[in-house]
Amino acid sequence: MTPALKISHLRKVYRSGTVAVEDLSMSIAEGDFFGFLGPNGAGKSTTIHCVTGIATITSGTVEIFGIDAVKNYREARRLIGLSPQEFNVDQFATPRQIVDWMGGYFGMSAAQRKSRTDMLIERFDLVEHQKKAFRELSGGLKRRVILARALVHDPKLLILDEPTAGVDVELRRDLWRYLQELNGDGKTILLTSHYLEEVERLCRTITIVAKGRIVRSGPKADFMSGGLENAYLSATGAEPDHIAGAAA
Amino acid sequence: MTTAQDVQLKPMGVNWIGLGTIVRREVSRIMRVPIQAFIAPWISALLFIFIFGFVLGGRIKEIGGHRYLEFVLPGILMMNIINAAFLQSTSAIYFQRFLRFIEETLVAPLSYVEMIVGMLVCVVIRSVITALGILVIGACFGVIAVDNIFEFLFWVVAVSIIFGELGIIIGLWAKNFEQLNILNVFFIVPLSMVGGVFSTIDMMPPYLRFLYYGNPFFYWINGLRHAMIGFHEGPPLVGIAMTVGLVVLLSAATLRLYATGYGLRE
Repeated sequence: MTPALKISHLRKVYRSGTVAVEDLSMSIAEGDFFGFLGPNGAGKSTTIHCVTGIATITSGTVEIFGIDAVKNYREARRLIGLSPQEFNVDQFATPRQIVDWMGGYFGMSAAQRKSRTDMLIERFDLVEHQKKAFRELSGGLKRRVILARALVHDPKLLILDEPTAGVDVELRRDLWRYLQELNGDGKTILLTSHYLEEVERLCRTITIVAKGRIVRSGPKADFMSGGLENAYLSATGAEPDHIAGAAA
Repeated sequence: MTTAQDVQLKPMGVNWIGLGTIVRREVSRIMRVPIQAFIAPWISALLFIFIFGFVLGGRIKEIGGHRYLEFVLPGILMMNIINAAFLQSTSAIYFQRFLRFIEETLVAPLSYVEMIVGMLVCVVIRSVITALGILVIGACFGVIAVDNIFEFLFWVVAVSIIFGELGIIIGLWAKNFEQLNILNVFFIVPLSMVGGVFSTIDMMPPYLRFLYYGNPFFYWINGLRHAMIGFHEGPPLVGIAMTVGLVVLLSAATLRLYATGYGLRE
């Protein structure tokens, strides 16, 4: 079966000379819930930017459901929905405009946009905020708008870059349920998060990156014997709890 | 009804809806700042027309059989078209980069041509509305003159595209708000002032006439003046050829910048 995302030997060097990603290869099966972990600056967001077209690729290839993300970038991008870490929106636009415009960029007709926007505005509890300027919203509400925007064109591959950063526990749990529903319906999800509990609860496959390279990858079960946190700390070069405890 | 999933399976042609969405978004942004976008240039044009055309114009003899007010109106119009076009595209691109929502279009299935054309359509919309307002102001002073509507539209649209594309290039290059004004301060304002807005070539001393003939603004003002009142001082074909050449050259340059991701992608 064609993987939802296949990255081969990806390398990204910024103009400043910083090597953000080095020879990174990974594959996400269609329908998977994939956890992409790593410390700050490990290259997670850069990898996502290379996949989605926000960053140029220095070398290597990216395929979305078998479509080359550089050569056939328009076809590839139709299949991806991105919820970025930062609020990259027109701060003066309203949530309804933001979601509707994104549907428009993806070529959805006015009727389709209205139907999807109505559904997502309601699903993310934004009805009473839909006509306010984005900059007037709280952090949690802003995050919901960004998620609704990522979903408006019903993408086959959903990429979530720290989607629950800065949101309250209630919304986080509601979001977990919704993501599980989407994944249950067949949507492939790539999730980055610093909340290991979130990854443990949602993901079936986990890849850990550090300093631009993959340091460990496999099914979630492989990480669970000593606990995900210890596996993560060990893979990223930090001291796991039991080692730190023994040394003390 | 077609679902969003069905849309994904259609082969990609021109993304007209995406292109239209860029236009809708930018028009919405312009309408948030109507004073800056339209009222300011109209007031500025009104003052120019009043002082130079109405107050001082009565003391100046006719030029080529036309009242001075009729002579200066095309120049005032062209200055404002250039300003509107340049400001529209620089502010649009820089604002998108600054707030990073340019990423919304980068992750979407939009071609570079669609992104550029979407921006330029908004540039032309803003220029045409600005021009119409100034024509109405001119009419209030008794000047109603568009001799050749097709020639008039050619100059309005072509010059808007040139300065829209220059604005995109500056908007992609600028690292801060200060740099956005460099072209305006050092190029657009000085050249438009010595481009024949207020005087004919004959009024200039011979040793300064190169400021007209070597100045692209002169050909644009001259062309628009010909379209409006049938009066011209320079060879119209030179102006048309230079304008078409600049449109082609700047379109290629803008497309190249988008394709390489200059100022757009990390």
